[in-house]
Formats: sequence, structure tokens, C-alpha cells
Amino acid sequence: MEGIKDRGMQFGGWFKYNWINNLLFSTAIILLVMLVLQAQALGFNYDSFGDWFAAWSRNLTNVLRNNAGIGIISLGMTFVIISGGIDLAVGSTLVAVGAAIMVLMDTGPKGLLGQMGITGFPAYVLAVIIGMGMGVVLGELTGLLITKGKIPPFIATLGTMQLFRSVTQHFMQGYNPSVPREFLPLASFRIGNLMLMPIIYWLIIAVVMYIVATRTVFGRQVYAIGSNERTARLSGINVIRVKRRVYALMGFLVSIAAIVQVARIGSMDYANAGSGYELDAIAAVIVGGTSFAGGKGSMVGTVLGVMIIAVMNNLLNLWGVPPFLREAFKGAIVIAAVLMQRKEKEL
Amino acid sequence: MKLEMLNIVKSFGANDVLKDVNFSLEGGEVCALLGENGAGKSTLMNILGAVVKADSGKILIDGEEKHFLKPLDSLDSGIGFIHQDLNLINDLAVYENMFITHEIKKKNGLLDISAMCDRCREVFQRMDVDIDPKAMVRDLDASYKQIVEIARALMMEAKIIIMDEPTTSLTEPEIKRVFAMMETLKEQGVGMVFISHKLKEVIHICDRYAVLRDGDMVAEGAVKEITVNDLAKFMVGHEVRTESLQRKRELGEEVLRGENMSFQRCFKDVNFSVRAGEVLGFTGLLGDGRSELFRTVFGCNTDYRKGIFLNGKKVRVKNPKHALNLGIGYLPRDRKENGIIKDLNILENGTVVIWPKLVRRGLIHRSLQQKEFGEKVKGLRIKLEKSEDPITSLSGGNQQKVVLAKWLSANPKILILDNPTQGVDVGAKEDIYDIILDLADQGMAIVVLSSEAQEIIRVCDRALVMYHGEIMGEVSGEVMTEENIMRLATGGQVKQIGEGEHGRN
Repeated sequence: MEGIKDRGMQFGGWFKYNWINNLLFSTAIILLVMLVLQAQALGFNYDSFGDWFAAWSRNLTNVLRNNAGIGIISLGMTFVIISGGIDLAVGSTLVAVGAAIMVLMDTGPKGLLGQMGITGFPAYVLAVIIGMGMGVVLGELTGLLITKGKIPPFIATLGTMQLFRSVTQHFMQGYNPSVPREFLPLASFRIGNLMLMPIIYWLIIAVVMYIVATRTVFGRQVYAIGSNERTARLSGINVIRVKRRVYALMGFLVSIAAIVQVARIGSMDYANAGSGYELDAIAAVIVGGTSFAGGKGSMVGTVLGVMIIAVMNNLLNLWGVPPFLREAFKGAIVIAAVLMQRKEKEL
Repeated sequence: MKLEMLNIVKSFGANDVLKDVNFSLEGGEVCALLGENGAGKSTLMNILGAVVKADSGKILIDGEEKHFLKPLDSLDSGIGFIHQDLNLINDLAVYENMFITHEIKKKNGLLDISAMCDRCREVFQRMDVDIDPKAMVRDLDASYKQIVEIARALMMEAKIIIMDEPTTSLTEPEIKRVFAMMETLKEQGVGMVFISHKLKEVIHICDRYAVLRDGDMVAEGAVKEITVNDLAKFMVGHEVRTESLQRKRELGEEVLRGENMSFQRCFKDVNFSVRAGEVLGFTGLLGDGRSELFRTVFGCNTDYRKGIFLNGKKVRVKNPKHALNLGIGYLPRDRKENGIIKDLNILENGTVVIWPKLVRRGLIHRSLQQKEFGEKVKGLRIKLEKSEDPITSLSGGNQQKVVLAKWLSANPKILILDNPTQGVDVGAKEDIYDIILDLADQGMAIVVLSSEAQEIIRVCDRALVMYHGEIMGEVSGEVMTEENIMRLATGGQVKQIGEGEHGRN
């Protein structure tokens, strides 16, 4: 008896210790609780366990797929915030890159690649590559403004945010390119009965970014700069180059999100697509435990953060919370997350 | 007004900063408060200014005991404190700075600008200076900023003004201006405490002196009875010279030479040279320009003038990374700000400069990193539990050793150490001295920057003393004494051996 009681105490102590000291642990626990609530909200009125599981997994994959774009962007945003910066232009970059890809692939008379006689598979590959290059260039432009231009990241990206979207909207006025049907499987290819591709892209990128963050010189230098830029410079780190790469990487990941989004939806609303993504991504990164002051954070935390917000939205939906009120919950969870992290520091 | 501080005791943790100190000041006199860094001057004045609270002791003003709880209480009792780093807001006008938190308002609640300007002019007139109250503080030179601060204290009816190293950032004519104003105030019965390291200025402007050493008041008296040399000796004490650790060693080729180096107002026409296996000291008072000089050598300031020569070849150091590649290592001052990266663990802090060299197949090779750092841990006797622990879990001395390990891992040919034993306990201090001498034995050229004369004497083969950005002289061998260093550092001359010992006493 005593042995069991001891173990119980040990578990309680272990749980409490990790809850307070291990941010990933507490974030994961919160996600777990939400998943349980989500399952409960779906109800258990099914004929068999198989039916229930099918409904449950369909719901969950829908939720994750719809958030894969934000998930990919959040991974880049994690680096940006760890380096001590911020990028408000991700939504506008997404629209700009998305529009470019669509113009390139358009099967109509105005399609750029079509006019050059490139169609079919080569056109898609080329469009994707050019789209990625464009993401890198736009990110690099932001990086230049911040490092060489010495403009605070908030201001620089506030500027590029408006610039990119406005220019895109202007050029896409009255022009609705149609995305070739053959391009769509990039996102909508079904595995079993589920559309998993966007989630797979997201998770592959997450793994790569995790390795970059923990094991490469670039990744560790980002942490060093975010924690103490002066010491980093005095330690021979080329701060300017590393920061530029952070924003270029951000642009690259946004372009992937844009490609996935175009393939998933097959069209784009230039005025609204991607708007609010910057705030959603920042919220996910913060909920995932990355310090807004820089220097601290993890890719795993960000993946969990995105999932928490996504599952929470779904939960609110299942519960029938009025749509206008849902944003309030998002705001509350961001504030709660930061309060919790603050508490951890003081203990 | 007469100020007395009686039996003041203050300790920070186990560190006794003030041990039963008495201090007094009459109206109309200027009293110099002297002492080396860490002697307790600032703490004593911070107690008077109610910035910190004494553990015990009394403060009497005109015989009446006062209890100050916050800085404003002290100001209300007529004590104005002019901090070393001026407390003015550059982007506001002079009058706004003078009246900050005490603004004069009209009946309708808006600010009464003309009334405030008139009050400012009155005060300036009384001080016999001419400053436009509407000028922006940004546009004033450093001496006028100082004067504005003093004027603010006067406007608050301060009868006693504490000035913490008021002249360090001023040029000659600016210093004269401040002194002239001090004379004027003296005639009006204002008492002043003048904290300074510049002994010549003390002799010039002060009536009395009080010297603190390790928390004791060791000497007091009238300035006209003593000389600069006496003051220097009081500050240093007699018995402090500890055994020198210098070792005989073969010096190699010249590794680093600076020729007529100048940079803005920080230093000018500096010449030095250091050879392989040599430990060269650079010393002086706070703000003498030595840190800026070697930050420049390390590539932090690129628009310096004249040359840096490495192994006899002229180089232009573009940035710290370039300096690193050239074989220069630089342990900066202020470990917390410039030395450690608090969010990285011990291992990463110790290897950050060689990360690119540890890459195998695109990733930082962990066991290689462990091996590199492990050697340094053994060599420098760093005490740690796990190398993955946070850097902040280590003691100051061990943190400093990790920062040292970081630089040694890059195998520099020349190592610059700025204040290497800052915030380090006695044991670790001796360890660091040993490390420095071992490295020199192995043929590394080493430059030690320190304001502790003792430290310089103990580890350096020879030392250059700076004052206001210029090298005042070189000391080595028997001439390298604390007195001589202090004298050069305060703008005086070296006394050769055999020259008449004490002056008047």
C-alpha cells in the first residue's frame, strides 16, 4: 500500500515539477486536454467504434489541414522572434507569391508560362520554383531594410506588409487566373480517405526546422543573437548576415505556405487571403513558449502552439460559441500563455 | 547649513562596504571624497541621497536627525545629488528638464511656460551663467548639462550638492567653466561634495578632503596642507603591494603594434607594441579610453585613424569576425553585458566562436564540441556539474573562465583581456592570473586592461598608463608602483627611484 501511495506522490511531484519548469510539457498537457474535450464535443453517437474513429480523424485532419499554412509560417516566425525581430508582412507576402504562381500557371490566354509555350508538368515545377525564389527575395528585401537600413523590424515589415498587398491587388484587378486542375493534387492528394498532404508538408518542415534550430551553426547563432546581440557580435558572429537569412528563410516558408494554399483552394482572394496570418502566427509562437524578448523558444513548442489554437477554434465551433466571440478566446489564451510563462520565471 | 553623517555602517551581503564611517560638511566649503573604485564613496553618497539605506548610523542636518526614505526626502532636506551619468532628458528643453515633476501650471491647468523660464533665468543669474531656458538639452555641451543639473538642485533650494565625478566627461575649458560656477556657489554658502579621481583638480578646487579605503575613513584634513602624492598614497594605502607574479621569459617577435591611433574623442595618437610572450598592461581611470582603444583593435570601431600592425603588416580590422580570423581574441569588460549569452548553456557559451569549425555534414558535431570544451574545462579548472546547465548557474569566476575558454578555443595569437577579474572572487582571481602567465609562457601576446593598479603590477611585464585618451607614460620593473601609476593616471609625472620621498605631510 505504502509503495503505491509513494508512487502516487512521486507522480504528483513529477507532474508539478514539469508543469512549472518544462514549458513544452505544460503546453503538451493543455493540447491533450483540448483534444479530449474535442472528442467529447464530437459526441459518441456512432454505430461502431470504427465510425466514431473515422468521424473523429476526419474532423482532426480537417482542422490541421486548414492550419497547415499558418503552421508553416509559424515555424519561420519562431526564428524571427527568437532573433529578436518580428515580421508583420507574412500575410501580404503570401498573397504576392500566391498571385505570382497563379499568373505563371494560368491556363487562360494571359498565363505567363502558357504564353511562352510552357505547359503541363514543367510549368508547375517552374511556377513553384519561381514562387519560392520570390518568397526568398521578398524576405531578403525585408532583411536588408532591417539590417542595412537599420529600420526596426516592426516598422519595416509594417511598410512591406502594405506595400506587397497593395501592389498585388493593383496588378490583379479584374484578372482571375484559373489554376490547372492537375496542380491541385499537390495539396488534395488523398491518402486512404484523408487529405493529408498539407499536414505532411508542415510536419516535414517542422522536423527540418527543429534540426536547423538545434543542430546547425545558423540556428544556434540565431539564438545567440536574440539573447545578447552585443556578445554575439563580439563573438565573431556576422549578425547582419544571420538576420538577413532569418528573414529570407521566413519568406521562403511563406512561399511554401502560398503554394500549398493555392493548390488546396485553387483560387485566391487578393484582398483578404492571408490577412491576419501574421497575428495568428505570432500568437501561435507565443503560446508555444517562445520569448517575445528573443533568445528563447522552440520549434516543437510552436507546432504545439499552432495545434492548441487550431483545436481550440474547432472546439468553440463544436460548442456553438458565436463566431464573433471566438476571437476573444484566442486573445485570452495568448495572454494566459504569457502569464503562465511569467509565473514560471518567478518560481 | 551643516551636514554630519555619524557611524554609518553598510554591507551588501557578506561584503562590508562601509565600516563605521563619519563624514561632515559645512556650508560654503567644497570637500573632496576620495578613494579607489570599490572603496565605498558611491555607497556613502547614495546613503546621503537616500538611494540606498544604511544598516545603521545617523544623518544630522544642523544638529537635527533626519530619516530619508526616498530620494525626494533627501532633496526636500536640501541635498542635491548630481549623478555621474547625467539625469537630463535630451529631447526636452532646459526649462522642462529643470521643472520635471514640479511643473508650474496656470489656473486652467496648462503649463505656465513663461513663469518657468523666468524662474530658470533667476537661478542661472544667481549662478552667473548664461543659458537660454528654451534651448534643447541635446544642443548643450557636457559642461552646461552639468550646470543645468546643478541649477535644478539649486532651484529646489539645495544647500548641499553632491557631485559624482563631474569632470570625467568634460574637456579643459568645460572643466574651468564648472569650477568657476563652483566658486560662485561657494561664496553663496552652498556646501559641495566633490567625488573625483583627478587629484590635481581636487587640490585646485577643494577646501577639505576625506579618503575612504575599503570602507574605512583613513584620512581627513585641509587640502592646503597636502600634495597630490600624499592623496595618492592615502588612497592606495601603504601595505598593499603584494608579491609580483612576473616570470622571466624569452620574448618573441612583435605581434601587435598600434601607431598614432586616434578615434573620435575617445583616444588620440596612441602608440604601443606587444611581443609574443609578453604581458602588457594598460591602466588608468574610468573613461581614459583604453577600452575604446582595444575595442577598435578588435574591429568594433571602423573609422579610426592611423594604423594597426599585426606581425609587422598593416591591417584594417573590419569587424570582430575579421579580428577573430586574424588571430585576435578579446575578452570584453562587463561579463553580463558582453561576455555571456544567458539563454545558451555552458557548453555553447564556451564554444560559440568555433561553431563553424565544429560542423560535420552540415550539423554541429556534438561530441567534437564536448571534446573541445572538455579540454578547456580541465585546463582552466572550471568547476561545473553538467556542461548543459545554464551559464547563469555558475559562479562569477567560473562564468569568466567559460568566457576565457571561448576565446582560447579560437587559438588566438594575441589575447586582449579587459577587466578580466571583474566580479570574480579571490580564488578565481588567482587562477585567472595563473592562466594569463601560463599563456604568455606558451608564447601568446597578452594585453591586460585594468583600473586596478595592483592587478597590473602583479601580472604585467610593463604597463602603459592612460589619461584622457592619451598615454601618459610607461612603467615597468621597480618604477611600476601603485603610487606612480596613480600619479600618471591622474595626469601627473612618474617619480623616479631615489627622488625625495614624501613632500609635506
